[in-house]
This record gives sequence, C-alpha cells and structure tokens, in this order.
Amino acid sequence: MRHLSLLALLLFSATSHAQLEIFSCEPEWSALAKELGGDRVETFSATTGLQDPHHIEARPNLIAKIRNADLVACTGADLESGWLPLLLKRSGNNKIQKGNLGHFMASEHVRLLGIPKQIDRGQGDIHAAGNPHIHTNPKNILRIAKSMSGTLEALDPDNAAFFKENLSNFVARWETALGRWEEKVKPLMGVPVVVYHDSWIYLEDWLKLKQVAVLEEKPGIPPSSGHLAQIITQMKSEPASMIIYAAYQNDKAALWLSNRTNIPIVKLPFTIGGTSDSNDLFSLYESSINLLLKAVPH
Amino acid sequence: MNWVALDLSIIGPAIIAGLLVVATHVPLGRAVLDRGIIFIDLAIAQIAGLGVIAANTFGLETDGWMIQIAATSAAILGALLLHWTEKHFAELQEALIGVVFVLAATLSILLLTHNPHGGEQLKDLLVGQILWVSYEQLIPVAVLYLAVLGVWFSVDVLKTHRLTFYLLFALTVTASVQLVGIYLVFATLIIPSLGALAFSKQRQLTIAYLIGSLGYFLGIAFSALWDLPTGAVVVWTLAVLAGLSACIARSVNQKTIGN
Repeated sequence: MRHLSLLALLLFSATSHAQLEIFSCEPEWSALAKELGGDRVETFSATTGLQDPHHIEARPNLIAKIRNADLVACTGADLESGWLPLLLKRSGNNKIQKGNLGHFMASEHVRLLGIPKQIDRGQGDIHAAGNPHIHTNPKNILRIAKSMSGTLEALDPDNAAFFKENLSNFVARWETALGRWEEKVKPLMGVPVVVYHDSWIYLEDWLKLKQVAVLEEKPGIPPSSGHLAQIITQMKSEPASMIIYAAYQNDKAALWLSNRTNIPIVKLPFTIGGTSDSNDLFSLYESSINLLLKAVPH
Repeated sequence: MNWVALDLSIIGPAIIAGLLVVATHVPLGRAVLDRGIIFIDLAIAQIAGLGVIAANTFGLETDGWMIQIAATSAAILGALLLHWTEKHFAELQEALIGVVFVLAATLSILLLTHNPHGGEQLKDLLVGQILWVSYEQLIPVAVLYLAVLGVWFSVDVLKTHRLTFYLLFALTVTASVQLVGIYLVFATLIIPSLGALAFSKQRQLTIAYLIGSLGYFLGIAFSALWDLPTGAVVVWTLAVLAGLSACIARSVNQKTIGN
C-alpha cells in the first residue's frame, strides 16, 4: 500500500510539470476541462459564477495566466468579444490564437439558437453569431466534452489514452444524469416563464419551457417603463409561472415585476459558483432543476 | 502575493501609458484646480462619447478612425461651448460644467433608445482599461501629447489664450479616457496637484509629477502582486501618496515657521 502511494507520488511529480495549462473564460469550461483532463491539466477561470462574462476588469494576473496557457477554452459567439481579443493580443502566445489548436470556442461545436434573421441595429446588443449562452442545455455539454477531449488529445498525445478513458467515463456518468434529469423535469414542460435577459433559450429548448416575455426589451438595455407596463397587462390575462434570472444579474427588475404580479422569482446559478449548491457541472444542473421544480405550481 | 505577474512585458505598456497621462494631466490639472472647474474632464469625456453616439444615430458607420473623428470633433465643440460660457458667465462656470455633463450623459441615453449598438462604443470610450493597452496604441497618443506639452509650455494658455486651454484639454482628455478610463483621468488630473498644494509655488509642479509617476508605478505593481483591478488600485495609490506628501509639506512648513 505504501509502495503504491509512493509510486503514485512519483508518477504525479513526473507528470505535474507536464500538465496542460488551461485558461478558461467561464467556470463551466474549467470544470469540464477538469472532468476530462483530471490531474493532467491545470485550470484557471477568468470569471467566477457571480460575474457577468460580457464584461471583465483587467488584472495583470489574467495576462500572466494566458501567456503561459496551452489552451484557451471559452464560449465564443461574441460572448467575450469585449475583452478576449484584447487579452489574446496582449498574451504574445501564438499557441492560443484563433485558428490554432489551443484556441477552443465551445460555441463552434454546438448548434446555435437565436441567430437573428436580419441584423438590425435597432434590436439591441444582439449577437450576430447567435445566442452564446449554450451551456444551459446539458446536452450541449456532452457535444462540447467530446470536442474538448479531442483537443486535449491533440495537444498532449502522450496522455491520449488517459483522456479517452476520462471522456468515456464522463459521458457515461453524464448520460445517466441526463436520463434522471429528463425524468424529473417532466412537470416543467410547457410552463410559461418570464426571463430577465435572453440567456436561457437553450434551457428552454431542452425543458420545453415557454418563454412568454423578456424583461430586457432589447438585450443589454434596462427595460423601459412602457415595456414593463405591457408585461404587467400581459401577465394579468395570461400569467407566467415564474420569473427567471441569473445569480450574477441584478434582481431589481425581477423583484419589481414579482411584487406587482405575485409571480414567484427563481434565481438560477447560471454557472458553477453562481449559488453555493452549484460546485461542479453535475450539481449545477441538479440544483437548477430543483429550483425550477420548487417554483412550478403543483 | 503573485510575483509572476510583476513582469515588464505584462505591465510595461500600462506603466508607459500611465506616465504619458501623468505628463499631460498634471499641468492641466493644476489649471483646473486653480479655476475650481474640476468636473470639466467628466463633461468633455461625456461630450466625446455623445459625439460617437450621435454619428452612429445619423447613420455614419463608426469604426476605428471614424470613432476618433466623431469623438474629437464633439469634444472640440464642447470645448468651444465651455469657453463661450466662461466668457459670458464666468462666475457660473463650475455649475454650468455640471449641467453640461448631465445633459450630455442623458442625451446619450435618449439617443441610445433607438441605437443600442452605440452603448458598447460609449462604454469602450469612457471605460478604457489601462492594462489592455498595447505599445502600438501608445504611439499616436505620445505624438499628440508631445504636441500638447509643446504648446502648453511655450504659450501662457492660462492668462492669454483661454480658448487654447479648452482645446488642449479636449484633445488630451478624449485620448486619455480611451486609454485609461474616466476614473484614472479624473484622479490623475486632481490628486497629484492636490498633494503638492502645500509646497511652495515653484516646487508644486515637480512634486505633483513625482506623486503621479510614483502612483502609477506602485499602483500597477500592487495590482500585479495582489491580483486586483489595475485602474482602481492606481487611484488609491495616488490618493495615499498625495496624503503623505501633504503631511510632509505640513511638517516641513511648521519647521520653517518654528525656526
């Protein structure tokens, strides 16, 4: 037993300096990389679950981390367009530039929803590439996991077998969880919801929730009084079951509407670390589903 | 503590950007402080932002150079306006600057209701982040600032050429706000000069320059060591240094009086 742990220690110290350094933009990609790479990867997330990934304050450590990264794992689809291009430019690191192996954008590996039919400047801060909040559908995680694992293998072929094994292990656990979740979420089918920001269309697509109103009339712009009045009238004739917002978002507009309509509000973690119950990918969906179920009328 | 981030290739451009801003904003700030018009930088920056949004609303594609042209022309118009108000309502100048600031800020909001894309550009313009700066970006700013300083120290802009003062101010602030953001612009204008105020007249400029450069140096280093947002740490470092400097000046003054 002692020999075994000594061997493990030796192995660990032998591989530790050869770990892949992964810089992720959001905590969900750090968590996924950790699931797939285990102790062969070292992860760092630029944002936490309580920060808006659209915006970020510049800290020297971000440049220090991205400079040495072997892989940058981000959402893409313009979500980080306000800061990632600047950070990549300042990194002086060729491995992670667009077009190279170390540049992994999760949104390139799933089907994007919410692609505007026409780009009209009047419509708000609309993402031309489509809605970037892809991780709210756990089926997307499965697709992204497969692509990310391939990238890890290509970056570190010596550990390819290890990554393959981790992937099949993760896929098996994820599919079991998915089966359990899909059983559990049946009461949510067709439930009408109001959302704060248009960040849940993938979740709605998965759960077949019916989004009847968005508090932000135009994405990224606080709601106008006329728009709020219109939602209140709409809620009187066809009430929604809940108002959903993300932990990192301001709850004022959601509370305001809830006070006037008696519709319950649901604060979802949105990503890992958003609430104290969401510590990894599994508990993120588990706790989100529980929160939604609690609000649904029985 | 995080010694890795304390690396010149990471913080070098930020330090140079800081020194450029200090070089121009300290003399401008002394004039601003002297006149009691400390919110002029907020007003000018907001007007520059308004210019970009207005250009956007009227259908001009605002990218790259067009943004700079729109922002600079708006800032110059703002400078002309403020020069005119100073001439005609000198005793109301500070209040009028405040009014111009809120009017420009709220007009941006009104224009943005039908042009939400300008929102991102406005944010980029007003909330520059010192750490994202690259050396290439600094070259045009350095050229502009050299010209500004050349005019500043060759003409007595405060007494004889008030219009020149407003124009230089508009050009300088429009560039610096995009580089380091509005908080640092305000802090660099006011705090070093405030910290030097208790020293004798002929020493004030040197002391203010010293506070400014040391504030950026130490502030950027602290932000690297403790992984904190750079702009905010620099503001606080400037304030602490200015406080220390004021204390030193007082004790020196008391000694001279005691003798």
